[in-house]
Amino acid sequence: MSGARSLRLIWFVTWFNVRMLLASEFFVLLTFIGPLIYATLGFFLFRSGGGTAGHTLLYVALGAGMMGVWSTTLFGCGGAIAWQRWEGTLELLVNAPTRYDFILVGQTFGAVVFGFYGIVATLIWGVVLFGMPIEATFPLILPLSLLAAVVSLGSLGMLIATTFVLYRHANALGNLLEYPIWLVAGLLVPVATLPFWVRPLSWLLAPTWGMEAIRGAAIGTEPPILAIVMCFALAVVYYLAARVALIYVLAKARRDATLSLQ
Amino acid sequence: MIGPMERPSTNTPAIEAIDLARTYKTHTGVVRRRPISVEAVRGVSFEVRPGELFGLLGPNGAGKTTTIKMLITLLLPTSGTARVMGYDVVRETTAVRERIGYVFGGDRGLYDRVSALDNLRYFAELYGVEPSEQKRRIGALLELVGLTGREKEKVEGYSRGMRQRLHIARGLLHDPEVIFMDEPSIGLDPIGARELRQTVRSLVDSGKTVLLTTHYMFEADALCDRIAVINAGRIVALGTGADLKDAIADRTIVEIETFGVSDETVERLRGDDEVNAVNMEERDQSQILLVQSDRGAHITQRLLALLGETRVGKVVAREPTLEDAYVHLIASTGDDEARSARAASVQ
Repeated sequence: MSGARSLRLIWFVTWFNVRMLLASEFFVLLTFIGPLIYATLGFFLFRSGGGTAGHTLLYVALGAGMMGVWSTTLFGCGGAIAWQRWEGTLELLVNAPTRYDFILVGQTFGAVVFGFYGIVATLIWGVVLFGMPIEATFPLILPLSLLAAVVSLGSLGMLIATTFVLYRHANALGNLLEYPIWLVAGLLVPVATLPFWVRPLSWLLAPTWGMEAIRGAAIGTEPPILAIVMCFALAVVYYLAARVALIYVLAKARRDATLSLQ
Repeated sequence: MIGPMERPSTNTPAIEAIDLARTYKTHTGVVRRRPISVEAVRGVSFEVRPGELFGLLGPNGAGKTTTIKMLITLLLPTSGTARVMGYDVVRETTAVRERIGYVFGGDRGLYDRVSALDNLRYFAELYGVEPSEQKRRIGALLELVGLTGREKEKVEGYSRGMRQRLHIARGLLHDPEVIFMDEPSIGLDPIGARELRQTVRSLVDSGKTVLLTTHYMFEADALCDRIAVINAGRIVALGTGADLKDAIADRTIVEIETFGVSDETVERLRGDDEVNAVNMEERDQSQILLVQSDRGAHITQRLLALLGETRVGKVVAREPTLEDAYVHLIASTGDDEARSARAASVQ
């Protein structure tokens, strides 16, 4: 398959998955409503603490949006393979002459792109209800920051999709990982305020650097070059790990006959 | 023999299975786990010629789906080899997948929340159909399966028959040379099943090779050029419908409707010298005994005497049908084979 054809396939699968998620009430609620609730709580919390000066509202809005992105990534990607197995489509996708990792890339990026609506929603919410000013210190870098965040979260989503499928109760694992990552990745409060021993864990997570890259471009004092580089570097590591996991998972599925289990 | 990288010749069988076997390993119990091995397929061998419609016929759990899944590269055989269009199903998966279509029965395997057209576009991309070719191909397939005009409706509103036709269209998107159909008529109403058979026949008429599994004897008989009867993981007969029927051509069938016949009475019939075999079908209120005896033996009165006090309804003596041949084959290889296929080992 040529490079152009592969890119077309990934784009097509991404778009198809966004449409599938739009048709799911669970994901519409998770992505469209969840971040607004987080943002509202955040705005009131910071307001009651007297900390709404400067860029604080924008800081909160971006964090709340990213919380929604993480939730959609976690559940959208964590359940990607499992849902297809339940729907009976996994066998058909694996049986297609196309490389399955390309299909999975499209599916996970579809979930992440869909999740990024949360950031748009919280920004509008902040402007309309809380009079939040919209500004960007480095407007030319912001698109690159967003791209870096999408790529790193998408690759992490792929790793989540391939490893979660090994566990029968992966959904419970997803619930377990939702709130802790919000905290550890610094989506609500800066990573610098966390205990020292937690920080190395933060540095391994795509949401940490994705958030850093977006906040840095929007309200930072310096261009978030390190965060952007880390996003792409982590994306490569996640993708390679996901490829290895996928080869193992597919070989195991052919050996143990688990592609069509319900 | 064809090497892994050689191009298959025109004489190559479309499908070739040699001593194909598959054992599933599972376990029972939660605290004390006991490993169990189930031999789902036990040394199956057959060839399907290009352009042939080949039926794999057997009861539920006979090993049909396991066989088909090994042939379409979704499942690794425990032993044996298989090739599709000359390509090994274990080592040359991409070459096999490019040449096959897979259609299965049931409600699963489609994206319900989007339209049939979206489903077909999606799978066309996945199956590598050239973008310039997709519209024409999808249109032709919708026409073939009779869904033109309904393609923009969401699949969740489709009837069982429409879903099955959409499955077929999906399986044909990349114009495969060999089509595997796993119980495609399951759950269809009689008209839907008849339309499906017409579609399958038209595929073979257009030069496709089809391997179809079913547990309906009449379906295999109506459609297939040759039929392999599989039971408990083994092929117990292989030939045309006429060949299978010949296996019991020297028999007469006495069909007896009974009400509340006991197991002891059935065993008494089985033990009679004039009786070759007895099969029983449960109906709502009654049981139909199908008693096979040598042609020319007039044993109806003898059977009624053996039934003793059992209440008897309609009694008919008739020529054996293909279904009788099937029942005979399954029954004669039944219980013992099934038991030996399920070997439990405790560690």
